Amino acid sequence: MIEKLKFFLSVTGNNLWQFRTRNIFSVTIICLSFLTVGIFMSLSNNLRATARELSSNMSIAFYLEEGLSENAIDQIRHEISLTSFVENVKLVTPSEALERFRASFPELADIVAGLKGNPFPSSFELRVNAKAVASTEVVAFVEGMKKRPGVTDVMFNQDWVEKMQGFSRLAGAIGAFLGGILILTSFFIISNVVKLNVFARKNEIEILRLVGGTNMFIRIPFWLEGITLGILGSLLSLALLFVVISVFPVYIGAQLGALQQLLRFRYPDLTQAVFLLSGGAATGFIGSATSVSKFLKV
Amino acid sequence: MIELFHIWKQYQKPYWALSDVTLQINDGDFYFVTGPSGSGKSTLLKTIFREILPTEGQILINGVNILKIHDNRIYTLRRTMGIVFQDFRLMFHRSVFNNVAVPLQVIGVGRKEIRRRVFATLQKVNLHQKMWELPAHLSYGEQQRVAIARAVVNNPEIILADEPTGNLDPELAFEIITLFKDINKQGATVIIGSHDRELIRHFGDNILFLQKGKIVGKEAHP
Repeated sequence: MIEKLKFFLSVTGNNLWQFRTRNIFSVTIICLSFLTVGIFMSLSNNLRATARELSSNMSIAFYLEEGLSENAIDQIRHEISLTSFVENVKLVTPSEALERFRASFPELADIVAGLKGNPFPSSFELRVNAKAVASTEVVAFVEGMKKRPGVTDVMFNQDWVEKMQGFSRLAGAIGAFLGGILILTSFFIISNVVKLNVFARKNEIEILRLVGGTNMFIRIPFWLEGITLGILGSLLSLALLFVVISVFPVYIGAQLGALQQLLRFRYPDLTQAVFLLSGGAATGFIGSATSVSKFLKV
Repeated sequence: MIELFHIWKQYQKPYWALSDVTLQINDGDFYFVTGPSGSGKSTLLKTIFREILPTEGQILINGVNILKIHDNRIYTLRRTMGIVFQDFRLMFHRSVFNNVAVPLQVIGVGRKEIRRRVFATLQKVNLHQKMWELPAHLSYGEQQRVAIARAVVNNPEIILADEPTGNLDPELAFEIITLFKDINKQGATVIIGSHDRELIRHFGDNILFLQKGKIVGKEAHP
């Protein structure tokens, strides 16, 4: 058994080397296909993670009318605290808001210094329970508060969470679609490369049959060849993906400004890396197996 | 024992490559099949190792009807035979050693044993010094000897050789047939297709004469 395995591996190695030009071509195609899948997978990872971060930091801000009495402010706080989904409530005074602005935008210090008064209103900041983020109860509460006297404006980032989740799904779908087409392309390319290899070794296959080689004995080196091409292609795509992820923020990321956060790539996790590698192996195997079976009739 | 019953083979109408060939070859026999070009020598050998199927008739080898063996199991028949093809059928991108080793590799013989047996066989055909060369770098006669070494390396029960000395000088042809004779003495049945009268006269224990696909004569010189 071990002897046969050694034999198959040596035949596979010889064949890969013998037809190296066309094998390099198919490895390149597989690599590009899986790189595309990987890039979209990584983009989708980032969008999903951003949506998750936004959900866990879900907050609502109610901006209050200027000059509202302490009683009226307490009344609003009381109404807020009666809801079940609010984890905590904080009153942000105009001076605290100004301080925050100064800290967040130091480059605008000149403009702040030139202000005659404090333009920031008082506000209530609410941290919402992550499970209730998208609930109709929260949305209804926010809508009610918008119309309440004493509240001038409401800031609620639920829209962003939904948009992030939508983008993540879209990126995943584009990745699956483009990747699917490209993987199908690699499948046909492997299949044709193996067909060419079968053609080139027709004489050898005939000899193996005539000296008593079983169908399996003839097929296995071709299968191993397809699997090796697939694994090499996907391994290379994984390596390139890591390079792209490392290089992207350095060379292109800075030019994207605010979009950088959204278009940032995240390294694939172990499951995704295994998925890419096994996908490559499966593509190679199916490509060669169908080609050998149909073409050789062995 | 090889038994052929009323074998007919037609490649193209209206010509018959084999016409009603009935023949019995006992274990350990040494046979020459001879006749002019196109007489059916190669076709007869090819039907015995089932490279081609006869149009009609039955072939039994050790009592087994080889025409009934499923394609997936045909290797069981071929492993009992060593075949020398008229056109050699060598793998030109593999070394002499690897060409000769193939019948042993398909049955899973260990590497050391393969090395030992291939070397010993190549010594017999006087090619051991060219073991690592590619067949393309060898002469026609040397390529033929590689094909012979491949046929005998796994000590088969039956050896079929189609014009195995066609491209060899008389001296080497003599040596090669002597080699087949030695293998025959060890118990293998040997059937050689040839029209080399000198060799047939010298070595022919049993001679089968074919003409236009028909057996037209038999001679036995025990």
